[in-house]
Amino acid sequence: MTFEDRIDLLRTRRHFFRDCGVGVGRMALGSLLAGAAMGAPKNPMAPRPPHHAPKAKSIIYLFMAGGPSHLDMYANKPKLRELDGQTPPESFMKGKRFAFMERMAHQKMLGSKWAYRRYGQAGNEFSELLPHIASVGDELAVINTMKTENFNHAPAKVFAHTGSIVPGRPSIGAWVTYGLGSEADNLPGFVALQSGPRGPRNGPLIWGSGFLPSAYQGVPFLQGSEPVFNLQSQPGVTPQRQQRALDAVRDLNTLRYAETGDDEIATRIAAYETAFRMQTSGPELMNLAGESAETLALYGAEPGKNSFANNCLLARRLVERGVRCVQVYHTDWDHHAGIANALEKVCREVDRASAALVRDLKQRGLLKDTLVVWGGEFGRTPLSDGEKGTAVGRNHHIDAYSTWLAGGGVRGGQTIGQTDDIGFYAVEDPVHVHDLHATLLHLLGLEHTKLTYRFQGRDFRLTDVAGKVVTKLLA
Amino acid sequence: MFAILVNFLLLPLTAQSDATTESSFAKVRPVLETQCLGCHNPKLRMANLSLASRADVLAGGKRGTVVVPGKPRESRLLAAVRQEGNLRMPPSSRLADGEIAALEAWIQAGAPWPENVAAKVPGKLNHWAFVTPVRPSEPAVRQRGWVRTPVDSFVLARLEKEGIAPSAEAEATTLVRRLYLDLLGLPPTPEETAAFLDDRRPDAWPRLVEKLLASPHYGERWGRRWLDQARYADSDGGSRDEPRQIWRYRDWVIQALNADMPFDQFVVEQLAGDLLPNPTHSQLIATGFHRNSPIQIEAGTDREQYRVEAVVDRVDTTGTVLFGMSVGCARCHDHKFDPISHREYYQLFAFFNSTDDWGNDRPRYNARYNNLVHVQGPLLEFAPVDVIATRDRVLARLVELDEKLDDYKREKKPKPDDAFVKEIEAEVAVLRKQLPKGLEGSMIQRELPAPRETRTMPGGDYLAKGEPVQPGVPAFLHPLQKTSARANRLDLARWMVDPRNPLLARVVVNRIWQEYFGAGLVATENDFGTQGTPPTHAELLDWLATELVRSGWSQKAVHRAIVNSAVYRQSSKVKPNVMERDPRNQLLSRQTRLRLDSEIVRDVALSASGLLTTRVGGPSVFPPQPEAAMSASQIKKTWKASTGADRYRRGMYTFFWRVTPNPALVVFDAPNAMVACTRRNRSNTPLQALTLLNDTAFHEFAQATGARLVREAQGDAARLDRAYELALSRKPSAPERERLQRWLAQERDALASKPEEAKALAADLEVALWTSLARVLLNTDEFITRE
Repeated sequence: MTFEDRIDLLRTRRHFFRDCGVGVGRMALGSLLAGAAMGAPKNPMAPRPPHHAPKAKSIIYLFMAGGPSHLDMYANKPKLRELDGQTPPESFMKGKRFAFMERMAHQKMLGSKWAYRRYGQAGNEFSELLPHIASVGDELAVINTMKTENFNHAPAKVFAHTGSIVPGRPSIGAWVTYGLGSEADNLPGFVALQSGPRGPRNGPLIWGSGFLPSAYQGVPFLQGSEPVFNLQSQPGVTPQRQQRALDAVRDLNTLRYAETGDDEIATRIAAYETAFRMQTSGPELMNLAGESAETLALYGAEPGKNSFANNCLLARRLVERGVRCVQVYHTDWDHHAGIANALEKVCREVDRASAALVRDLKQRGLLKDTLVVWGGEFGRTPLSDGEKGTAVGRNHHIDAYSTWLAGGGVRGGQTIGQTDDIGFYAVEDPVHVHDLHATLLHLLGLEHTKLTYRFQGRDFRLTDVAGKVVTKLLA
Repeated sequence: MFAILVNFLLLPLTAQSDATTESSFAKVRPVLETQCLGCHNPKLRMANLSLASRADVLAGGKRGTVVVPGKPRESRLLAAVRQEGNLRMPPSSRLADGEIAALEAWIQAGAPWPENVAAKVPGKLNHWAFVTPVRPSEPAVRQRGWVRTPVDSFVLARLEKEGIAPSAEAEATTLVRRLYLDLLGLPPTPEETAAFLDDRRPDAWPRLVEKLLASPHYGERWGRRWLDQARYADSDGGSRDEPRQIWRYRDWVIQALNADMPFDQFVVEQLAGDLLPNPTHSQLIATGFHRNSPIQIEAGTDREQYRVEAVVDRVDTTGTVLFGMSVGCARCHDHKFDPISHREYYQLFAFFNSTDDWGNDRPRYNARYNNLVHVQGPLLEFAPVDVIATRDRVLARLVELDEKLDDYKREKKPKPDDAFVKEIEAEVAVLRKQLPKGLEGSMIQRELPAPRETRTMPGGDYLAKGEPVQPGVPAFLHPLQKTSARANRLDLARWMVDPRNPLLARVVVNRIWQEYFGAGLVATENDFGTQGTPPTHAELLDWLATELVRSGWSQKAVHRAIVNSAVYRQSSKVKPNVMERDPRNQLLSRQTRLRLDSEIVRDVALSASGLLTTRVGGPSVFPPQPEAAMSASQIKKTWKASTGADRYRRGMYTFFWRVTPNPALVVFDAPNAMVACTRRNRSNTPLQALTLLNDTAFHEFAQATGARLVREAQGDAARLDRAYELALSRKPSAPERERLQRWLAQERDALASKPEEAKALAADLEVALWTSLARVLLNTDEFITRE
């Protein structure tokens, strides 16, 4: 086969190569052509070269579903406190659209009731709700000018994960594993962990693979010793019996392979071997009992419990084992009313473990290779929300909110972006969700305009037709 | 010198010699006409650029000037055709060096254009797929004895030209299993296999083909593929993922295929059954095709935004499924590669923009009560008229009370024990009990009494208001015949199935072809535009397309032509000597092994075990699945496993929640039903292995197969034969038999020494042993592969 044939092969069988996970723009071409016999199917999760030297090998995204109130945790607005109870300036409200529009007309300015202070050498500001996160403040780059496009939970969540408000596009983790594969032999390359009172809206669609091959969708881990479906053998199927069955399956498949010459059979033989190893590695991964008492205390983790703390610890164990992308969800941030109590409660659930993850990764030398992101689908309004006579909360706010990054390639100890005096709009360094996505991919060694997938005649990407790498974030 | 040259070029054109003008333009004109004007003409003005006259050329387009007379280096037209930067034209090919040189010389000469000369805009675009197919004659071949259907002549002619021999016919056992799996999605029973092997009549194969095409399971197998394109699911895919009443549409598809409904009628009823005169129930149910778009509703969403998204989904699905083209690019801007303008996109959009998506005929009920009747929009209802009247009356009163209560609470801020509130709440409780439950219906499309205005949406933003447009079709295709002043969906549907349509029949036969050979004759089955790949066998594609139309749009005729062919009946063994020259088997010198679809993976296991319920159609069912499978959704849903016969239905009847689909379906690449799927992926992963090894459902199938083997055959050798016949429709080879006899001895010893393990597998030791063996066969690659 000539070189031209091979190029032609690539061009016309995009689909095939995407199935095999080697379709990452032109960058992967060299390695592909140098690879094994053409047509030999490859493990879709086989590691692949990035577009450029990566700063981070893995990403852990701590996703705070519901819309955390940036004004009460990261963005200190003394002026807003002064104006508490007053009618908002006309200039902010004119032509503005909100969720629950009907009740926004008579809302007042709402200052934060929590005190702020500067922490660490860098002097990043945090409120008293986050003492632990504040204690690792020098590792964090806090963006106070995040911007998104839709003020409802499900669309905004889908947007934060896929760059589109319409569900069904590939999520960040799917794009990343499609681009890079995974270093984990015996675990899925992309894992989703959940805690909180309910699953996030649109559930699996926000860690889905969209039109990418389904091998790239996030695998939601379940609690207990069996993190993925069907990891445990059926009653009566002992490890010896399973091994004996698999030996026979392998031999029968090998005979068939000799007969047909179809490389798919070789792939299936390898898949069965991995599956068997996963039956052992899965429970081993989930067993936190081997962690030291200090580590468990650092996170506030308790073996056997379903908690954000356990999931943060699990996230570290996953990236230690080479998993490329871990999404950790905590749902309970939608504080339209009664924010005073509710926010304190959820911060108690999340603060310690979020900080512990950064500290633990650092202690183990993993932070330089691991990108940690913390944030939700939007923030909350500087105005009050809720019915009259009830404890106040804040409404959804998409024009400025906070997200922080730490680890692999991120310049910690800085605050990015300025908002106006009441934290309504960005006045300096706005960072759109597409920009964040472009930056995450950049840190992982992927160029967001080149990580494309042709679907229905169009090259799609995570950042749609936008996105700029936020250079201030880079170390 | 330089200044003089510039001055010379700035002279009016008339000052140049006519001969220079004419010779330079004469070389450029054919390039413009054949390569550029298909899109950049005064009518279509892609990227707001026309190259049809000198004035147009100098006016430039959306991105500014394209030609600077005398300055080729500053002329973006030249950079585009040289394909050096981001802008590459023409999009799917490259001009010959001579053509580029002619353009350069022409620009250098000041882009002269003789007066009163206009470039000719081509009537048809210079792209194979935009020209109506003409039935080709069968090519002559040397090995005439090999040819069984005209399909073979086209394939063989090419192979003979390349000097590659076709493969031998596959073994009879392979063939019979292949045909059953392809036409029915079910394996043959051992008896059916034997019946074919014993049939010595010369036309045994075509007889089997006819028998299977007449089976009710044919509609299930091929209907499921259509449902992929219809992004069929049983729920709405939104934040709460509400269930929908839509299975009757799924059954309509199965029945239409079984009856071999002419494909043109099949399209018309689905796109516009509601607009046919006096539509039947069946024709209304057919419109479930486009009613089943995913939606997104939560408290606080702007309904208009997701209504627009649903219309976009319908336009894009129509484009992908019936044009084989991505019209979606033109949602935000003119299509960059294909001749569909932003304006034309919204002309298509206008056809779909006037449907009722919320069920305006029924009282609106407060979303907090999450009333399904309301969420589903227009329904064809099957309940007696008086029951529906009761429902509507109760709903209307509930709405009234709900509003009253809201107003009162807002104004009075009542305490929890407020008498008025209590009174209303008591009435609500009574009324809710009166609300008839479980009323049967099926989601349908319905046109609003007056059409909505459609405007273009620059940038695809639903709030952006561009210019108003009327329903219309892309100018590069045949003209639309309107039956009234304003064209409607029915006009569009009839236009779509006009035999002059160059795309529809080709797109349809190509998708049928790809199911049999793993890839279409056009590999980019969803892109027949200029960015797609050209057909490997253009004449064969056109022959099949014209055959579809000639046969009265009979899909079964196309299946017949393919499965009766020698090409189809070849062995799928890889030929190392051809692998180097034709690694993708584009020349079709063999068949291809294909991993079965996710639903069919279940079906073959059910068949081997003898558990399969063969009932066709009906409400979707809930086979056992891992308990945690529903845990990831926002609203926790229960999955109560079906009992009795419904526990063992074919995979295609499993209730499909868009947000939390059945894991065993997803792991084998079932489409997610959020967008039209025109070709499934075939992944090969460890999670698939875990499913077949450990999933409760598959374990149950292995146990049933074990019991069946013990029941139906005596002695190891006979049971082994039977196991192979049930699972793989053949007898074991000598090495397979040898390997498994050794395995049986080990496993028998192991079970005998640990009776408690055997008990966990099956009550009877022998059944436990054969359950174990069934697990082995059900996990082989061959079991889930069409050879």
